[in-house]
Amino acid sequence: MVKKSLVLMLAVVLSLAAFSGCGAAQNAEVAETQTQSQQVTEDVSTQSPETGEEVTLTYALWDSNQAVGLRKMADEFEAANPGIKIEIEVSTWSDYWTALEAAATGGDLPDVFWMHSNEIYRYASNGMLMDLTDMIANSDLVSMDNFPQGLVSIYNFEGKQYAVPKDYDTIGLWYNKTMFDEANLDYPDETWTWDDLYTAAKALTKADGSRYGFLAPLNNQEGYYNFVYQNGGTIITADKKSGYDDPKTIEAMEFYLSFVKDGLSPQEYGDAERATWLQNGLCAMGLFGSWNLSGFAANEYMAKNFDVTVLPSSNDGGRASIFNGLGNAIAYNCEHPEEAWKWVEYLGSKEGQLRQAELGIAISAYNGTAEDWVKSNTTFNIQCFIDMVDYAQIRPYSNTTAVWEDKAYEELKGAFTGDKTVEQACKDAAKVMNESLSQE
Amino acid sequence: MKRKIKVNFFIHAFLMLGAVTFILPLVWMVLTSFKTTAEATSVNPFVIFPSQWMWSNYAKVLEQNDVLLAYVNTIAMMLLRIVCSVSFSAISAYAFARLKFPGRNFLFGIVLFQMMVPVQIFVIPQYLMVDALGARNTIFALLFPGIVSAFGTFLLRQFFMGLPKELEEAAKLDGCSIGQIFFKVMLPLAKSGLVALTIFTALFAFKDLMWPLIVNTSSKAATLSSMLAKIEGAYSVNYPQLMAASVLAIWPMLTLYIVFQRKFIESVSTSGGKL
Amino acid sequence: MLRHTLKKRKYTKIIYNEWRWGYGMAAPTIIGLIILNIIPIFQTIYLSFFKSGDFGKGNIFVGFENYIKMFHDPQVWGATLNTILYTMIVVPVTLILAMIFAVLLNRKMRGKQIYRAIYFIPMAAAPAAITMVWKWLFNNNFGLINKLLSVFGLGAVDWINDPNVALISVAIIGIWSLVGYNMVLLLAGLQEIPKSYYEASSIDGAKPLRQFFFITLPLISPTLFFVIVTSVIQTMQVFDVIYMMVDVTSPAYDRVVSLVYLFYNNSFKYSNKGYGSAIVIFLLAIIMIITASQLKVQKKWVNYM
Repeated sequence: MVKKSLVLMLAVVLSLAAFSGCGAAQNAEVAETQTQSQQVTEDVSTQSPETGEEVTLTYALWDSNQAVGLRKMADEFEAANPGIKIEIEVSTWSDYWTALEAAATGGDLPDVFWMHSNEIYRYASNGMLMDLTDMIANSDLVSMDNFPQGLVSIYNFEGKQYAVPKDYDTIGLWYNKTMFDEANLDYPDETWTWDDLYTAAKALTKADGSRYGFLAPLNNQEGYYNFVYQNGGTIITADKKSGYDDPKTIEAMEFYLSFVKDGLSPQEYGDAERATWLQNGLCAMGLFGSWNLSGFAANEYMAKNFDVTVLPSSNDGGRASIFNGLGNAIAYNCEHPEEAWKWVEYLGSKEGQLRQAELGIAISAYNGTAEDWVKSNTTFNIQCFIDMVDYAQIRPYSNTTAVWEDKAYEELKGAFTGDKTVEQACKDAAKVMNESLSQE
Repeated sequence: MKRKIKVNFFIHAFLMLGAVTFILPLVWMVLTSFKTTAEATSVNPFVIFPSQWMWSNYAKVLEQNDVLLAYVNTIAMMLLRIVCSVSFSAISAYAFARLKFPGRNFLFGIVLFQMMVPVQIFVIPQYLMVDALGARNTIFALLFPGIVSAFGTFLLRQFFMGLPKELEEAAKLDGCSIGQIFFKVMLPLAKSGLVALTIFTALFAFKDLMWPLIVNTSSKAATLSSMLAKIEGAYSVNYPQLMAASVLAIWPMLTLYIVFQRKFIESVSTSGGKL
Repeated sequence: MLRHTLKKRKYTKIIYNEWRWGYGMAAPTIIGLIILNIIPIFQTIYLSFFKSGDFGKGNIFVGFENYIKMFHDPQVWGATLNTILYTMIVVPVTLILAMIFAVLLNRKMRGKQIYRAIYFIPMAAAPAAITMVWKWLFNNNFGLINKLLSVFGLGAVDWINDPNVALISVAIIGIWSLVGYNMVLLLAGLQEIPKSYYEASSIDGAKPLRQFFFITLPLISPTLFFVIVTSVIQTMQVFDVIYMMVDVTSPAYDRVVSLVYLFYNNSFKYSNKGYGSAIVIFLLAIIMIITASQLKVQKKWVNYM
């Protein structure tokens, strides 16, 4: 009996699978009938007499830390909007994009999902996202004027808005208060310049190698990008050329790498390992983004000894901090566009943005709502992350950011190991980056 | 006699060394699961034992994740994959090992061919198949790539080929059909191969990470491995909680292995070899 | 292999019957594999001749351009060399260790169940835990291994970032995670060997070592053949171990990156599916050549009953 039913099951499975393997046109047909039949069953099963049809929206994202707070917001939204249910789907960063790509290929995207500057071009240019321009124009709650211009423009493609900014992040200078106290040094503040940073790093470094003054890892966003823009250099020019061979960029890189060359910073290439230096009292200062906040606050050593402040300015006063932000996007073929927009609208409204800040989920993008975010965390002086927005630089991006970022890393490594001069490494990086950009 | 004791001592010392290397991650997992976050990443000085045993790490994992549901999904996936792929592999492996038919080598070539390709290339095509069937976020989706197994077919083919032919021929003379020979004579003889394949199928299912994460995005259809991956978070890893979840996740697999090993040893103890 | 060529043109009923059973029994696996795997493989081959568009749309036919680019890419050749070197280190060491463990644990002895359970742990442990342990062991500045070295007055080794060492470090992790698999398989093979064979030879006065080479090895050769073929295939496809230990930012990246790692980066990270596909097909060709030669050589040493 068991055997028979097994054989039967396999026969069914295989014939179905065989059917689905016969070309795209048929695929679409199968998918269509499937969704239709699904809808029929949904209609029957979820129809409740009082509220009419209930709609479930999927909301896909990649950070489990934020998912907790966002669930709370979704619960509140559901209470205020009977008939709409939000189902949050969390993934990891790399699998999120693989899954989203597969879903886009199959025409079955989540209703609402996070977008990132690295990927917006691919999704927008291929028509995978819903054009929100008109919805925004007709909305009383959401206006693009309320968000920092840089964030808005990331998600604007050929004049159409494809996502509503959700949050942003900036980079701060984290320092070990205890070590500064021991060395009788003043804490870093907004008056600091590169020279102050270098002098303090030198004073905090111990000759026996048991402690470094500053952490200058091979990392762009939480590392040299900040220095490059403070110095008036650039990574990518307006006409989509590499800025690595710009003399100002090279000068900033020379300064950044002087920490490594002079023994004030360890050579660090790993991403996950970087924070270990600070967490173990082996480095006195380091650059880390605002998204590390919850992780750093949960670490007892860091909570006790560390604080954060704005990045130092270049010696002639140039200021910059790299910032970036996520957006909420809707699938082009979303079956419930009205409900999905309601949710995105709420997330981008002043009310929703305030709630996000209050819950400490992320720095809300809506101008003026970030103050509530500062109150959500009292362990560190996180006001600095907001203070830097005025002069923050959007993380450099183009249509194929992930490609040339890695290529540049491969060339810049040599400057950290000492196999190449900084100038040579920068010129090589410019060359491979331009080659890559020319193929966009 | 004395020499034998000496030899035994060396054997034990050798096995012990191996055991220490192999058990290290488990010990580390358990210890870390009880630490504070600072202790977990502390290397200067090394913290081997937690200063106080933080049971709250476990409490938080159980509170924030539907661990029970993940157990159910994982075990369902493991069982389904075992039933499907072990039975299909056994049937097909016998054909490749013992039956003669034109094109056998070509068909067996397909089996080998499948194993030579990195699994990553199958993810998106198989996703599209499951999606077309409307079966995302289901247990069936978890089973899907494991319905048949090239690895299992190859493994059992080797086992069948290693079995003596005499019994089969005797059965043939008794007038048994090929099906009867397979079920009554060959299958019982390949028991240890079947057990090994069962363990491996369970293990591959248990460890499969990319597939469940991509096909079953809903948390209701998550497996233990995909639940663990999500705990990691995008920007900060809470190691103690991650390790606590790992400890909670590992025991079904270990129990299954130990139970099967024991069954398997009993069954062969009468005929089993010794050196 | 198909010695049974039917030259006589005398198709008996029995032969037809065997054919029927043969096709019928092979069918479930073959049909499943064709749908689940073979079709995607051909799609990959097809894609390798295209400059891939996004989301399966807008592919542009480019002929052999991806292949030409690949053969001029020093990173691909480096990765080929790394992959082969990795396989040459990992497979023999794993086989020898797994064989020793399997033979020892197949004897009558105290605590063998416990050993078997412990040896299984690396396979069941969560990858995150394994990564964390190895990173902690190998860390240049505060890793346990370097601390131990300094106790003996030896200098620190940069296990992960030194280009000359990293491949060996990665291979150590590979060996550690593969030994258990192969041990379980070999153990299963050992248990199929009838005890009577050993008893007979013991009476003849054969020593254990002689028994191993004249009884165990020949009788386990079908399983051993399986273990060798699958281990080579698996290690040629190495990805996870390297991916979790060495990032593109590491100075050792060029000296450890494997072909599957390059394929993964191109196909998934850089969305260049056409080029990624070409790399996979290249790897497939290499593995096919190796496996085909193993199948040829097996006749010389594998002892089927």
